[in-house]
Amino acid sequence: MRSGDFKETYGELVVLTDSRQVWLWSLLLVAALIVAPYLLNSYALSFLTIILITVVGALGLNILTGYTGLISLGHVGFLVTGAYAYAVVVSKYGMPPVVGFLAAGIVPALASLVVGAPSLRLKGLYLAITTLAFSFIINTVILEARTLTNGARGISVQRPEILGVNFDSDAAFTHLCLGFAILTLFATLNIRRSRVGRAFVAIRDNDTAARVMGINLHAYKLFAFVTSAFITGIAGALYGIYLSFVSVEGFPFLLSIEALAILIVGGLGSALGAVLGTILIVLLPEATRLVFSLFSAQMDAMFSTGAQELKSMLYGLVIILFLRFQPRGLVGAWHDIRRLWVNWPLRY
Amino acid sequence: MQHLIQLLISGLAIGAIYGLIAMGFAVIYKSTGLVNFAQGEMTMITAYVAWTISTTISGNVFIVAFGAILAAIVLGLVIERVVMRPMLGEPVFATVMVTIGLAVILRSSINFIWDAYPHGLDLGVGRDIVRIGAIGVRTGQIAVITALLLLLAAVWAFFRYSKFGIAMRAVAADDRTALLMGISATRVHAIAWAASSVIAGIAGVFFAISYDLSPAMFQLGLKAFPATILGGLDAVLGSGLGGLLIGITENLAGGYLGSGMKEVAGFAMIIVVLMIRPFGIFGERDIERV
Repeated sequence: MRSGDFKETYGELVVLTDSRQVWLWSLLLVAALIVAPYLLNSYALSFLTIILITVVGALGLNILTGYTGLISLGHVGFLVTGAYAYAVVVSKYGMPPVVGFLAAGIVPALASLVVGAPSLRLKGLYLAITTLAFSFIINTVILEARTLTNGARGISVQRPEILGVNFDSDAAFTHLCLGFAILTLFATLNIRRSRVGRAFVAIRDNDTAARVMGINLHAYKLFAFVTSAFITGIAGALYGIYLSFVSVEGFPFLLSIEALAILIVGGLGSALGAVLGTILIVLLPEATRLVFSLFSAQMDAMFSTGAQELKSMLYGLVIILFLRFQPRGLVGAWHDIRRLWVNWPLRY
Repeated sequence: MQHLIQLLISGLAIGAIYGLIAMGFAVIYKSTGLVNFAQGEMTMITAYVAWTISTTISGNVFIVAFGAILAAIVLGLVIERVVMRPMLGEPVFATVMVTIGLAVILRSSINFIWDAYPHGLDLGVGRDIVRIGAIGVRTGQIAVITALLLLLAAVWAFFRYSKFGIAMRAVAADDRTALLMGISATRVHAIAWAASSVIAGIAGVFFAISYDLSPAMFQLGLKAFPATILGGLDAVLGSGLGGLLIGITENLAGGYLGSGMKEVAGFAMIIVVLMIRPFGIFGERDIERV
């Protein structure tokens, strides 16, 4: 049993992890993920890619909902804005993909300023309502701005070539997504342990107290919202490239619910939770289909015809059941198991 | 001029539907303090039940109306008892997320219980056209506006004079003190959910009579959000009137600025309202004591 866990400087208190083993295992995991695309078949690889892209988006929402405690029901709006920004810049105007990715972050961030500035002055659920409104407005805007976006026809997107490296093959594209996922993970973890991240968490836990401590509520909430939109926009660009075609139909409203389900299932306010939640939620429909197809072929057929509906039903159920029985999410369960392992046979 | 009047009348009619759903939002918000994101879905389910009754049992207007109201009451009570009551005392974030989960489940259940195709709810009423001068109005449109006004009056009287209405206002104002006074908060919540479900269900049936039933009907709930924000989340009467305003705005925007604007006019209005008067026209300003 580990006893005497003393911290002597502030630096030690906020370090990412004080354990050598965690670094070692993380490096091993990254190495495994780098090798994996060459070993997996294309079916499994597509899941890996989707998980990596979704992790980026979920971490983006986690800054807003997990750290700052604000609900956004319209993150799909930023996803689609990011995808279109990339597609317009790269496919239509032939600029380099790096510029495209920058645009995919900056355009949603600007959009979030417009939505966030009025609604974040207010407390409570107003942001949920305005973001919901935003995600519907943005679809109309995209369909109406035909000269820029081709309207309902959509824009096709090629796999990018960045700094001479070609990401055309599936394995290479997975590596690109892996790179973005790792970058985002480090970015959010570092935000969390900085002054800004502590301000976010203070706002979430008690906004009045945070204000008394001198945190500018409006500015920090807006900052969280803009950062979140930036990261989500980049996830949108990746998703657009993965689909190889950007259209309004490719980004249904269900994605907003999926993102919230990921955070709740994983455990709110934890980057590890966002990752675990993503893995569970992305694989859940497929796993359910496999389980049911064991029973009968009829069930299997139902899954292929009503896939979208079954998916949303599963997400709804998962949200309600986790909130009711495991509000701390998978991360909470993991902490309980770890404590049990370390302290057994004692309770504490 | 005639175009304008026509737009105003159809705006009032669709606005009355938004207003009814918005009242449903406000009834729940007022007594339980949470925004029910499943309101549009509850509207849709009641309308589908009414359609099933009309095609299987009887097309008689009164039987369908009675059955639909009964179904709405049951739906509201079941949701409150099974889903919402266990979440009592949990943070607002969690309860609101539960209503979102519920919304998704109800929305997709339509496709399993019924189907994905549009249907017409034909009760033999509501589609005749009455001529007032040079302007044609559907009887269904007149009926829904009348229904909204009647319900507004009824709800006003209920909250003002009935014992239960006063109890609900007490719970909304201060639930702990209300509990100490011997008011059962759970019963108040149950009644609020049932009432809200009925009001929204009436809107759903009227919508189905005037237009069509389809799995996309839940979007009525999204359209009713601007109405309740405009009127004030905690103002039941204000939400009803807010619906009329939103309906008219939307139709005028659609008629004069193009169909794309019709879809977003209400949402654009939310953002404007939140900037100027965030608690709505009739809502109470939230004052926080530290």
